[in-house]
Amino acid sequence: MARSAIVVGSGAGGSVAAWALTRAGWDVLILEKGRHLLPGLGTASGPRTLFGNDEVKAGRYFENQDIVLEPRTSRTQDEAKKGTAHSFVGDVNTLPTVVGGGTVHWDAKTPRFWKQDFTMLSDHGPVPNANVADWPLGYKDLAPFYDEVEKRLGVQGDIHKMPANTLKQAPRKKQFPMPPNPPMYGGSLLAEGASRLGYHAYPFPMAVNSREYAGRPRCNSCGFCSGYGCPIQARGGAAVSFLHDALLAGARLKPRAFVYKVSTNAKGTRVTGVSYVDENGGTHHANADVVILALSAIETARLLLMSRTSKFPNGLANRSDMVGRNLMFHFFTAAIAVFAEGVHAWRGPSTTFTIDDFVGPDKGPAITAAGLPYVKGGICEVGASTLLLEEAQSYAAIPNTWGLPHKELMRLSPARSHFAALNMVGEDLPQVNNRVDLDPSTKDVYGFPVPRITYSSHNHELVASAYYGPKLAAICSAAPGAIAGTFLPLFLLNTVGGSVASFTQTRHVFGTGRMGHDPKTSVTDAWGRAHDLDNLYLADGSVFATSGGFNPSLTIMALSLRMARKLAGKH
Amino acid sequence: MEIARRTFLKSAGALGLLALIPQRALSSVFATAPGPGQAGRFLNAHELDTLRAVCARFIPGPPEDPDPGAVEAMVPEAIDMLLGAFTFKPPLIHAGGPFSDRNRHGHDDFSDFVPLDRHAELGWRIRIEGTKGIKAREFAGPVVGLQQIYRSGLAHLDARAAPATFVDLPAPLQEAILADLTDGDVQTFVGAALANTFEAMYGPPEYGGNKGLAGWKYTNWPGDVQPRGYTNAQVSKPDPGSPSLSTASAKAIEKFLPALGGRAAPRDAWWLGRASIVRR
Repeated sequence: MARSAIVVGSGAGGSVAAWALTRAGWDVLILEKGRHLLPGLGTASGPRTLFGNDEVKAGRYFENQDIVLEPRTSRTQDEAKKGTAHSFVGDVNTLPTVVGGGTVHWDAKTPRFWKQDFTMLSDHGPVPNANVADWPLGYKDLAPFYDEVEKRLGVQGDIHKMPANTLKQAPRKKQFPMPPNPPMYGGSLLAEGASRLGYHAYPFPMAVNSREYAGRPRCNSCGFCSGYGCPIQARGGAAVSFLHDALLAGARLKPRAFVYKVSTNAKGTRVTGVSYVDENGGTHHANADVVILALSAIETARLLLMSRTSKFPNGLANRSDMVGRNLMFHFFTAAIAVFAEGVHAWRGPSTTFTIDDFVGPDKGPAITAAGLPYVKGGICEVGASTLLLEEAQSYAAIPNTWGLPHKELMRLSPARSHFAALNMVGEDLPQVNNRVDLDPSTKDVYGFPVPRITYSSHNHELVASAYYGPKLAAICSAAPGAIAGTFLPLFLLNTVGGSVASFTQTRHVFGTGRMGHDPKTSVTDAWGRAHDLDNLYLADGSVFATSGGFNPSLTIMALSLRMARKLAGKH
Repeated sequence: MEIARRTFLKSAGALGLLALIPQRALSSVFATAPGPGQAGRFLNAHELDTLRAVCARFIPGPPEDPDPGAVEAMVPEAIDMLLGAFTFKPPLIHAGGPFSDRNRHGHDDFSDFVPLDRHAELGWRIRIEGTKGIKAREFAGPVVGLQQIYRSGLAHLDARAAPATFVDLPAPLQEAILADLTDGDVQTFVGAALANTFEAMYGPPEYGGNKGLAGWKYTNWPGDVQPRGYTNAQVSKPDPGSPSLSTASAKAIEKFLPALGGRAAPRDAWWLGRASIVRR
């Protein structure tokens, strides 16, 4: 018998679930609050794209969440203690609001989580003032779904160049579906610098076509990659790799459908459907056997909190009081190598190398002295720089640098042509007081309270940034031809431009509906099913118990596929 | 959709009375751009002349600098077209895609501007016109639109130049006013105008600026390269003859490193948002 599902959000988690359930014969309705910018998606002619090599459009909220219409607010934990409602209104970690979600312009980096990520609490004990938890599943539970998602996305990489420890932590039986892209020059120099210091850089697994794959062409390294929709569909993602086939198989998609409530039966034991607003302000209701929330961690938590009922006075599925809590962002620590020669580190798919040597956990006297049992960093994105307009904007951050000095800087072009950056995707520890709730005063264009983000770094992140940063800078200095190497520590990146708002510089969001065995301390079970409601599922970064040091989208997709297969009875 | 658009235009007041220009006529609009002493699509003749003086200070051209600057690249006229974006149909906000014709694709998709849907149009009306006390726009508080920022900002420059006008001041005095960090009104204007100047100078020429690819040529920037892209050798090998950066220059640019951390865009000053190098 056909069953029905409503999937809220058409990004990484939602599209994968919609695809798997539609193929299993389910009736699937996908509600997406963003716009549809991929004409032909879900038709025999295949998706076309309106994206181009256009920095202006990328900065004009074409696919990004329009922060004038849908702002967010933020404050620090200290400000929260003082009773400050919020100290910033604007772009707080927004993700694309568009059919296909974040993967429409993602960097498409697809590292797997490691075995150790799922058992940090058991293996290493608690961290003071943090809420580290084990996951209710392990690497081996996810491995077959990693394999399947990678094959469908079209992930490039080379198993023979991966470090032994990486393969031990994230074992894979087979070679990647396709070989790596041509290595970027600046990244190659940093890789050589890493090698000189005994570290190991290798081709970054990514959902970018190095050859024609699934009817899409090979990447031609145009350089407008992370943050830009691909003009030639050479990058895999939720829309082109999953949603397209889901729609062909009969799933229905409604763009510009803003879901504001998940409704339940009178007893509060099951969800019955959702209410949403269309583009013209009309309200609608849709029912289904199952509701899957994949709005991304901040918006999923917000919707649950907005859907409170008399049975769930603190928000739907929130008897644990963990909805919205344990919000995690990756913190990035960037090191910069400066080269005398031009290294055109903007040419290519953002970066083509990664380094795993700083994933951690690392221990030692300095870390113990800081009151921490360990520090963790993460993988490094090796060898990126900026495009032209971004470069101009960066220099202008220093007051009164317009005029002839501006022209001279743009001609010399240090940031664009002579820098190659090494960005560590650092693990962020969960804290109960880092959270999403509903802003008391600020409303969005639909008239609903916007998400308020309360966030402060744990000492762990500050110490980890200071611990790994100099090692990254040393790699930069050791690169052939480098004339300088320096690093930008977390506290610096965080203080430029204000308090918590600077965390928007990381677009990786987790933890607001964590999975776990215990309904008292977690929101969902190991399948993403809400402990409190039989037929409500979470399928995005919200379910992550810890953030790992790895780009999250592949793991979001693998978790979603595992959940959908369980729902469809095939697991 | 059409009904909705008309409703929006009515609420836009005088702008709705102007003839909307279809996109295919864009090239003729560029060719007949207002000259000195002529009014633009939003700015009056004096305001546009004042903006030209400002842009010439932001990105100077000959004779101060050998390469064309913002005025030569028609940046002020492009900013005026942004302020009057809703006199075009579709509005000049989002260029089309995927390809321009600069790599012999056969058609310039960029010049086919993407129509805004109702939601996106509201966002851009608020950005350009401001919330103006309209209830449907003030759900999250007031936003001063770019039109108002330019109108009052340019008037304020004249007030600072009194009894002269800003355009009549010698360049060093104009720069002294623009550089006055103690004058919040000046700096609000400079923040917005500099952001718009960069967009028009370094963005695709379909937005009206970057004339003759002036912004791309002097910076040695290839611009949009699709559908050609780069060869494996161009990606993996050094460019022959690329200019060298001295160690002294490398030292001098260290003060810009913190700026690479980026900045989150506030709702009421969204143009101040800046991408971070770690975003990539």
